Amino acid sequence: MTHINAHLGYDQVSAFIDGELSPKETSEVEEHLANCHPCAIRILSATQLKAATRHVSERFVVPPEALSRLTAQLSPEASKKPAGVYTLRSWTWGALAASLILAVSLLGWHATRQSGSLAAELLDQHLAVLSGGSPPEVISSDRHTVKPWFQGKLPFSFNLPDALPAGTTLNGGDLTFLHGQPAALLRFNIGRHQASVFFTQRSRDESEPATSGIQSGFVIQYANTHDLRITAVSDVNPSDLARLMSVLVEAQSPR
Amino acid sequence: MPAPASSALFEQLALPLLPSLYSHAFWLSRNHEEAEDIVQETISKALRAFDSFHAGTNFKAWVFRILRNTFLTSRTAIAASRTVFLEDHPDLLNISDMSPTPEDHLLRLDNQAAMDQALDRLHPQLREVLLLCDVEGLKYKEIALVIDVPIGTVMSRISRARRTLHEHLQKQRGVSL
Repeated sequence: MTHINAHLGYDQVSAFIDGELSPKETSEVEEHLANCHPCAIRILSATQLKAATRHVSERFVVPPEALSRLTAQLSPEASKKPAGVYTLRSWTWGALAASLILAVSLLGWHATRQSGSLAAELLDQHLAVLSGGSPPEVISSDRHTVKPWFQGKLPFSFNLPDALPAGTTLNGGDLTFLHGQPAALLRFNIGRHQASVFFTQRSRDESEPATSGIQSGFVIQYANTHDLRITAVSDVNPSDLARLMSVLVEAQSPR
Repeated sequence: MPAPASSALFEQLALPLLPSLYSHAFWLSRNHEEAEDIVQETISKALRAFDSFHAGTNFKAWVFRILRNTFLTSRTAIAASRTVFLEDHPDLLNISDMSPTPEDHLLRLDNQAAMDQALDRLHPQLREVLLLCDVEGLKYKEIALVIDVPIGTVMSRISRARRTLHEHLQKQRGVSL
């Protein structure tokens, strides 16, 4: 590579931020960047994009039951089994794993109930939905049916989006209470996972939403709109739940 | 079947990689059940072939190569192979068409959903190299080993992946404004 007068090419930008250039090439690029504002901005942009790509993928969480099965497979005892046995996935295994997680989660939740935190209350309601198997009070996938059902039952109103993310369906809704406040509980299916989404009235002194996280293996995500607080609980992977949250938040914007 | 000591070494090397292997299999197949099947089969194959692994070389690149080859024989990969991928054209890609202002290159990357969507829209072959580079931290020569292409092709695919990702994000930004 000779002294660089023209702007950096795309391959050069990528190779530079990935540390793939030779020391000589690296110093030539650095020399060019010292005198070229547009290329310096492009390097900055590419570096940000690289970090964002890593960050998005890191948010992907491997289902704990899958990780347990794979870890078990790695043990010498498991590896002695014939190859055909390795395909552990089946409805039976899935149901067993789900029951186990539910039981462990319920036990874990009861142990922490004394804290009386909102997260525990949310988890309680979601687990009640999962374990009870009772249908929602209003059963419909039609937002024009579900939303009006809450009229007169809640001191606030909310919107439902025209379209949900791919693989997500609305199953219906329930009237419930969180910390003594009335709330709309909407039940969704994301793939084979169930998600409970709570709409509550946002108090005026509440500034930022609580930090999203994982409790007892369940993902809990929060979002605030101007008037509402939206909280979602599910065992689906966080990015899928975030997609649903995103469209729900967007639906609250003035139309 | 490897000796017990060899199996123990395999377990020691492979165990920390399980989340990465699963995550990458998921990005390849876009299906949780298939991702688990792919990783299970990968572990099984890698354990059987572990005697051929040369100590001192990169185990991660070696096992990711097995994972990729396993994916290529899966139902999803066979179906996807019907789609056409425009092969790399370095002469067309390595150009410097700058945006109107340099600052137009800077994106608001705080929108996780938009970033996720843009990554999802990437052609699988571009997303694959980008994730191996940015998420798994493999060097270009290791990625070349994993996907069995020349190192120059790796470089141009990564470059093209980032350019496409950037364009997707810019379009989303334009729509949201």
